[in-house]
Amino acid sequence: MDFKPSRMAVVAKHIEAFIREFFDQNPLSQIGLVTIKDGLAQCLTDLGGSPDSHVKALMGKLECSGDSSLQNALDLVHGYLNQIPSYGHREVLILYSALSTCDPGDIMETIQECKKSKIRCSVIGLSAEIFICRHLCQETGGSYSVALDESHFKELLLEHAPPPPAIAEFAIANLIKMGFPQRAAEGVISICSCHKEAKVGGGYTCPRCKARVCELPTECRICGLTLVSSPHLARSYHHLFPIPPFDEVSLSLLNNPHQRSSRACFGCQESLLIPGNKPNLCVACPKCKQHFCLDCDIYIHESLHNCPGCESFRHSKIVSVTEE
Amino acid sequence: MAIGRSAVMAPVPSKLYSDDVSLLMVLLDTNPFFWSTASIPFSKFLSHVLAFLNSILLINQFNQVVVIATGCNSCNFIFDSSSVPANPNLENGRMPALCSNLLQKLEEFVTGDEKLSKEVLAAGIGSSLLSGSLSMALCYIQRVFRTGPLHPQPRILCLQGSPDGPEQYVAVMNAIFSAQRSMVPIDSCVLGAQHSAFLQQASYITGGVYLKPQQLDGLFQYLSTVFATDLHSRRFLQLPKPAGVDFRASCFCHKNTIDMGYICSVCLSIFCKHHKKCSTCGRKRQSSLEG
Repeated sequence: MDFKPSRMAVVAKHIEAFIREFFDQNPLSQIGLVTIKDGLAQCLTDLGGSPDSHVKALMGKLECSGDSSLQNALDLVHGYLNQIPSYGHREVLILYSALSTCDPGDIMETIQECKKSKIRCSVIGLSAEIFICRHLCQETGGSYSVALDESHFKELLLEHAPPPPAIAEFAIANLIKMGFPQRAAEGVISICSCHKEAKVGGGYTCPRCKARVCELPTECRICGLTLVSSPHLARSYHHLFPIPPFDEVSLSLLNNPHQRSSRACFGCQESLLIPGNKPNLCVACPKCKQHFCLDCDIYIHESLHNCPGCESFRHSKIVSVTEE
Repeated sequence: MAIGRSAVMAPVPSKLYSDDVSLLMVLLDTNPFFWSTASIPFSKFLSHVLAFLNSILLINQFNQVVVIATGCNSCNFIFDSSSVPANPNLENGRMPALCSNLLQKLEEFVTGDEKLSKEVLAAGIGSSLLSGSLSMALCYIQRVFRTGPLHPQPRILCLQGSPDGPEQYVAVMNAIFSAQRSMVPIDSCVLGAQHSAFLQQASYITGGVYLKPQQLDGLFQYLSTVFATDLHSRRFLQLPKPAGVDFRASCFCHKNTIDMGYICSVCLSIFCKHHKKCSTCGRKRQSSLEG
């Protein structure tokens, strides 16, 4: 059957795409990569917030050998994730190709430890469904799926990029101190604290200790302040303020001669009538009542996260009166 | 110089479609509160812009221009160079049709926008609905992408004079990230007295050009030298670079710009001082302050 040229190559390629998508959707998060082979689990890269170091490690030589040990992997991950402060969401995604696991001890205990530490474990299997993976995901609240082919695998993997909904009782609110550095003008020379060498222009200055850092988000190496830029936070706001799904419009309403203004999609101005003057399928925003075509509906909900109708009218309540 | 043919888009043989064909979405700020105090009158500004739009359509016969008006209470499409003109008698080349159509629709829009004003604004210049026109421009650009592999390269030009409205921050940022994903640069030409942090970030994140002209009397010159080039040719030009980009955030409580603040771990709201309770999501903090 199988993934060509080899499972490892296919998985590495898709993980790279996943990493970019993940950081696009969650700019303040961190990823670490772990490999399981010869019955041991090893860290390929440390937890970090920049995609480049992970992608570089993936491009290197990755070998497969020996048995896989799920328990050793969970123990390693548990050790790392326990150091994360409580307001951070802890997750593990296991890409499992083996059909068994070779463990030194009782894996059920390890699973209970993970459950106590609130680590959400999900598995994507590449061969067949295994009971222990199913049990792990059920206990910790993750999702388990098995890929049928390469494109299905890519789909399942990218489903893990958007953040899962947080459970209200576990969402502990903390006010975390963060700094918002300014970007320096081109031509300013200073020594950066990450590479320890002089660099020209284009860095950011920590507001507390004035050290220069090369990229954001990061933690200042000198004073430990978390540094982010406001677009990073703003990238996550659409998860917090989602737009409501649009309602389907019944075709009889479109044919109403009084509704002359809604014959075109409000977003892209494409005509909502197919040739023959019959109305096509369209949707309407429940708040501003503007009509949109189906393509704009998909674009608005998947990428834009703004309803053009609601944003284009300051006093949306009076729209319905003046439309006719 | 050849007079342009009928404006209906006929299928184009692929070897005529070079990589410097552009679709220019112009977002025109028509906020009356700003224009009453601007350094040049709106009519003079329009004459610069119309000359610029004509020049874009003359550079390449397949270039397309769409104008969206950003009003104080509403936004709407004003002009689309690819749509069939209503009165074929006026159409013997695209230039006369552009001016009369555009001006007529613009006047209708401004009158309608004024009628929608509910209350008199307290003080200062009100903001215009930049997030609305950006969203509409991006939806139109998606429609152009759907027409197939041969499409002009889209970009957005914001001619903005009104100050940034802090209530539109989230919507403008959403539009900026969507433009970045679709690889649509947002160019900004700021006509007001102050810099616009929103547009600085927009141009920085999407790879566009940000400019605040020093003399609005020479606006046509700024527009034609900086903003007229298509995306392919920009690699060969030295376009203005911003002196610095203001990435600082505004606190949710006072809307002041801060460079160090406290972030709620649940809803990511930004506060300048430590509070016991997050005012956005209402969750009380549980443990001691970090950091």
